[in-house]
Amino acid sequence: MRKKLSEMLYGEEGMVTSIEDELKNKVAGMGIRVGKKLKMFTRQPIKGPVVVEVDGANTSLGLGIADKIMVEVEK
Amino acid sequence: MKILLMGNPNVGKSVFFNRLTGANVIESNYPGTTVDYTKGYMRIEGEDVEIIDVPGAFSLEPKDKAEEVAAKMLRENRDATVVCVIDASKVERGLYLALEIMEEGYPLVIALNMWDVAEDKNIQIDVARLKEILGVPVVHTVAISGEGFRELVSKIKETVPVEMDKIIKRAGGEA
Repeated sequence: MRKKLSEMLYGEEGMVTSIEDELKNKVAGMGIRVGKKLKMFTRQPIKGPVVVEVDGANTSLGLGIADKIMVEVEK
Repeated sequence: MKILLMGNPNVGKSVFFNRLTGANVIESNYPGTTVDYTKGYMRIEGEDVEIIDVPGAFSLEPKDKAEEVAAKMLRENRDATVVCVIDASKVERGLYLALEIMEEGYPLVIALNMWDVAEDKNIQIDVARLKEILGVPVVHTVAISGEGFRELVSKIKETVPVEMDKIIKRAGGEA
């Protein structure tokens, strides 16, 4: 199922399918690119950032950024 | 000669710095703390070499204060050789920064640090192939024990800038 990264639930895993163009370079430095596997680690309350696991490392992303990344979630 | 120590946050740059210069700097990098650089000296083959411990960055496109300082330091030291410290268990994002630095035309040496941690995690890296594709020295190190440092230092003067087109070709991509 495709959804926004910001909508992933705790513990869910998925693969990045698209990233808005102007964001691509911004998140590439953190190892996030199309085709990459991610796991939702924590969702901070009150519109706080999400923390995802990429390559065994935790990376936090602002909700605004997480809204612009699409993920294919594994069932 | 000038050496810039660069790399992602928390890969061991400051441990590298302390080991290379014999200094004893304790650095931290909490969000919100003023992020600055440290300078020191070491001798390579009888020559005094300046080493700068650059704040951690994921990319040369700054997103925070530390990255701003890092990008600025790189651009202000056009004659520097860069030692790019990469966490061997998180190679991809480290290489992203290394390639960005190489793209700007700097001679670079890659240190795959925390090699012991990567081994524990059963991560295997083909160092010879990496060297061949990138065309720069790649050394695996364990900064806290000093493993790989002799080799690393011996490579610093050998490295030269590499053209991106050639790397892309060697990696099997289209330039």
